[in-house]
This record gives sequence, structure tokens and C-alpha cells, in this order.
Amino acid sequence: MAQPQRPYGNNIWLNELSELVGGASGGFLFGIPLIYTLEVWWIGSQVSPPILLCILTLTLGVVFSLNCVEGFRASRPSRAIDIIQESVEALAIGLTCATLMLILLSRITSQTPLTESLGKIVFESVPFSLGVALSKLILSGEPGWEKAQKRSPSKDDGSNRSAASSQTPAGTLADLSTTLFGAVIIAFSIAPTDEVPVLAAASSPPKLLAIVAASLIVSYGIVFVAGFTNQSKRQQQQGIFQSPQNETLVSYILSLLASALMLWFFQQLSWDDPWYLWLCYTIVLGLPATIGGAAGRLAV
Amino acid sequence: MNDSSSHEARQPPPRSIAERVSFYLSLSLLALVVSLIVYSWIDREDRPPILSIELRSEIRQVDGQFYVPFNVTNRGGKTAESVEVVAQLSCPDGVEESGSQQFKFLSSGETRAGAFIFSHNPEPSQLQVRVASYKLP
Repeated sequence: MAQPQRPYGNNIWLNELSELVGGASGGFLFGIPLIYTLEVWWIGSQVSPPILLCILTLTLGVVFSLNCVEGFRASRPSRAIDIIQESVEALAIGLTCATLMLILLSRITSQTPLTESLGKIVFESVPFSLGVALSKLILSGEPGWEKAQKRSPSKDDGSNRSAASSQTPAGTLADLSTTLFGAVIIAFSIAPTDEVPVLAAASSPPKLLAIVAASLIVSYGIVFVAGFTNQSKRQQQQGIFQSPQNETLVSYILSLLASALMLWFFQQLSWDDPWYLWLCYTIVLGLPATIGGAAGRLAV
Repeated sequence: MNDSSSHEARQPPPRSIAERVSFYLSLSLLALVVSLIVYSWIDREDRPPILSIELRSEIRQVDGQFYVPFNVTNRGGKTAESVEVVAQLSCPDGVEESGSQQFKFLSSGETRAGAFIFSHNPEPSQLQVRVASYKLP
């Protein structure tokens, strides 16, 4: 059986970080639309603790069944104990990502009661955890174990070289279009909803800066740390904005422009609105748009 | 010999230290969340919502309008939905003003803040505020 490719060679800590970020990337892609849903916040506010325990147990069961097919790690878990361990990890990643997003978007503050916080976290962690379990299938297109069987290291090196040499302005154009495509796929259904004004109203300037930072970090993590299909290929690409930092920044700006356009299209913003409102709304919608854009670029 | 070596080859590699650290951290996090849920279950009071409203002292005057801030708190055990708070200002010259505000949800122990706006200076003795209604989710 061929061993899966490890992006950081024998460095177990960097490889582990890469796998965890890969799982979290799938979680963000799956979970972000539900983070931008008022009803889920409200449902989380009123659900009783026994139901929360049932939801956690059910989620663990569903994640376990998904992990039987394909986990988020490079090597597919085969033994029952490995599947259980990976399921616990997927649930923990889902809980962590959901908590961070709820704090970032001011849905959980120091004033929020414990039961309400737990309700929101558990409800929002469900799609995040499922996304973690599905991350390899969503973002790399095929199960990792199958890919490892198909590819040999020499073939992989060759494809990387050809990718680097075939890089042209058309490649940059493809990056731009797939970023836009991914951003629109994720953010188009969020742009016309009430959640954008509600979240923007609760965002102070420091929170907005934190959302900008989170957007950039998550986008960078999905494309350059997670170790999905085209990661090494992308790192070798030459072009107008092909260094990881430049690509992340340019893609973010593109996602912000797409977000502003979508908000204008859905009449959430008009030319008479003050610039600060445009800024707030665009940054708030820019987070899911950037995540969609990053996933879109992986498809290239 | 061949059988045993091929059997060994089929065995998945053992989990690395990094993977084990991730697992134990994940398990600890999950245990913490479950513990907190169980704690909130045990600590939970099965009382209906008990809603109170409190006016804060600092009244702002901006452009001839008076902003009266308030806090509304749910001290009961259950979440209240559609909590409506109303304020009535009765001035000595006969002028009456009223205001109302609705909060979508108020969880057990939660406090939310808001403000009523009047065009006359509200003296405490002339201002009445109360929680008018709520419904159970």
C-alpha cells in the first residue's frame, strides 16, 4: 500500500498542523453559511442541555460514519480505534472553529450566558465538524488513500515541474476567475439576508480588523498550509501574483470587490450610504467570500 | 516468514507523537464542552422567565432629544421570546409620550441594553417603564 504524500517530509509537527488546517478548511467551507444564519443563533439560545448532548452524540456518530469512508488526514483510518480518534478530533476542530467564528462575529461575548453560548457553539459546530470529516472529499476531489495509490512521487514531481513551466498570464486569469467563482458561490446566498447588517452593526473597528485578519489567515491556510491537491503546484507557480502572500492578498481584495458588488446588486447598499457602511458590510461578507474564493482556487 | 512480513506491511503506521497530542487535546476539549453542558443542566432552574427592567442613570441630551438608557434582565430559568418593554412619560403640562422596544430572545441570566427617546426631559417621577409581555419559545 502506497504511503500518502507528506507535505513537510519527516517533520511530524508541521505535517500534523497541515492536516489539522486541512480539516479546519473543510469545516469553514461547510460551516460558514450556517454561521451567517440568524435562526441558528436563536435556536442555539433556547435549546436545553439534554438536547445539546444528543446533538453532540449524533454529530459524533455521523462524523464516525463519514470517517469510515474517508477522514481528514492524509492516510485513511482503517482500524476502528483510528476512526474513533479521528472522529473526536474532527468534532473538536468543529467546536473550536465554530467558537472562534462566533466570538469574531460578536455572537458570543463576555455578557453571553453560559447556556446560550454552549447552545450556539454546539449547533454551529455541527456543519463545521461534518465539513472537517468531508474536507478531503470537498477540497481535493477524491479520497486521499485513492490518490496515494494513483500517484507515485516521481509522477508528482513531474506534474509540479510542468505546472511551473506552463504558467502563463492565462493561469493568473484562471486564478482570478476561480476566486470570483468560489466567492460568488458561497457569498451570493448570504448577501441578500439580514445577517450582514446585523453582524456589521455589532462589529466595532477592532472587530472589523480581526475579521480582515481572520479572512486572510483562513484563505492562506486553505490554499497553502492544508496540503490539498494543488498546494505544492501552487507554491511553485510563477506569475503576476503567485507568491503565497501576494496571491492571498490579491484574492482577498477581489473577494471584497465581489462582496461589495453583490451587496449593491441585492440593494443592501446604495450610493447614498456612508462609506463606513460600505466598509463594514463588505468586510463582513468578505469573510465567506474569501473562503469560497480560496476553495475555488484549489479547483484550478 | 513471508506471511508475517506481508501482515506487518498491511498494518497502518502507529500514530505519531504529534497526532497523539492532537487527539488528547481534542478529547480534553470535548470533555470540557460535555462537562459544561452537564453543569448547565444540573444548575438549570426550571422557573419561568422573570423579567425586570432598570433605568440607567446617565440620560443624554442630543439635538433636543433625551436618551434614557435601560437594561432588561431575565432572572428566571427559561428563555423568554419576543420580550416587549414599554415606557410612558407623563409631563405636568399634560403632554404624554411613549416608547416601546422588543427583544427577540432573552436567555436565562441574560441582560440586554437599549434606550428610549423622548422629546421632553423625563423626570424620574414622571416616567414609567415596564416589561409588557413575552412568549415562551
